[in-house]
Amino acid sequence: MAEKLEDLNLPMSVVTRIVKESLPEGVAISKEARTGLAKAASVFVLYVTSAATNIVKNNKRKTLTGQDVLEAMKDIEFDRFVGPLTEALENYKQAVSARKSGAGKKKEDVEEIETIEED
Amino acid sequence: MSATKSEKDLHLPLSRVKTIMKSSPDVDAVGPEPLYLVTKVTEMFVTDLAKRAHKNTKGNMLEYKHIAEVVQEDDTLDFLREIVPRKITVREYKELMARKAARGDRSDESSEESSEAESSDGSSSGVEIIE
Repeated sequence: MAEKLEDLNLPMSVVTRIVKESLPEGVAISKEARTGLAKAASVFVLYVTSAATNIVKNNKRKTLTGQDVLEAMKDIEFDRFVGPLTEALENYKQAVSARKSGAGKKKEDVEEIETIEED
Repeated sequence: MSATKSEKDLHLPLSRVKTIMKSSPDVDAVGPEPLYLVTKVTEMFVTDLAKRAHKNTKGNMLEYKHIAEVVQEDDTLDFLREIVPRKITVREYKELMARKAARGDRSDESSEESSEAESSDGSSSGVEIIE
């Protein structure tokens, strides 16, 4: 649960890093632009979440799945993300199953997954 | 891209994304797969928005207005219009209010807000003049 209000925002420093990596080198980003992008990203998380949970509800299911998130992208007309996202999901699944079969060598990777599943 | 790397390519903290997702009333639990996807797609979204905003720049400075412009022009970004409203100058704001007052609208609720918050009366398109 969110303890503090700031917990409901994505960290601006990380969002700024993503922005910098997507733009040509040497482009400066104003303080207001950083704040705006960070806010937009935080709201986007909720927007996608609510689109995905709508699908879950409409199908009278309880659990949110990866497929729901993919479907949600079409509902909110972000179809252009479906392709790359499906690809990312495939890679992700492979990584997870590789780890489950004991092939995961990086310890911190395994720990990260565990903390996600815990709560 | 090697398989073991695939979630190291994430920048955003999963825990924070999860907290935000769970703040939605319909969400009890978030499994690792939907969490990964929402995080990933949010990063794609930021990249996309930044690139499009960058196209609106002339010099080497990405500014707020460049982002607001993208948001106002793309209907799929409607959900951001109250978050990233187009800014107007105080003078434009006063003119806007004067015009509204002349039409006899009850516009006083929004008068205390600053020049950047003009969309408080429910207009979905930022600064557009409402009748």
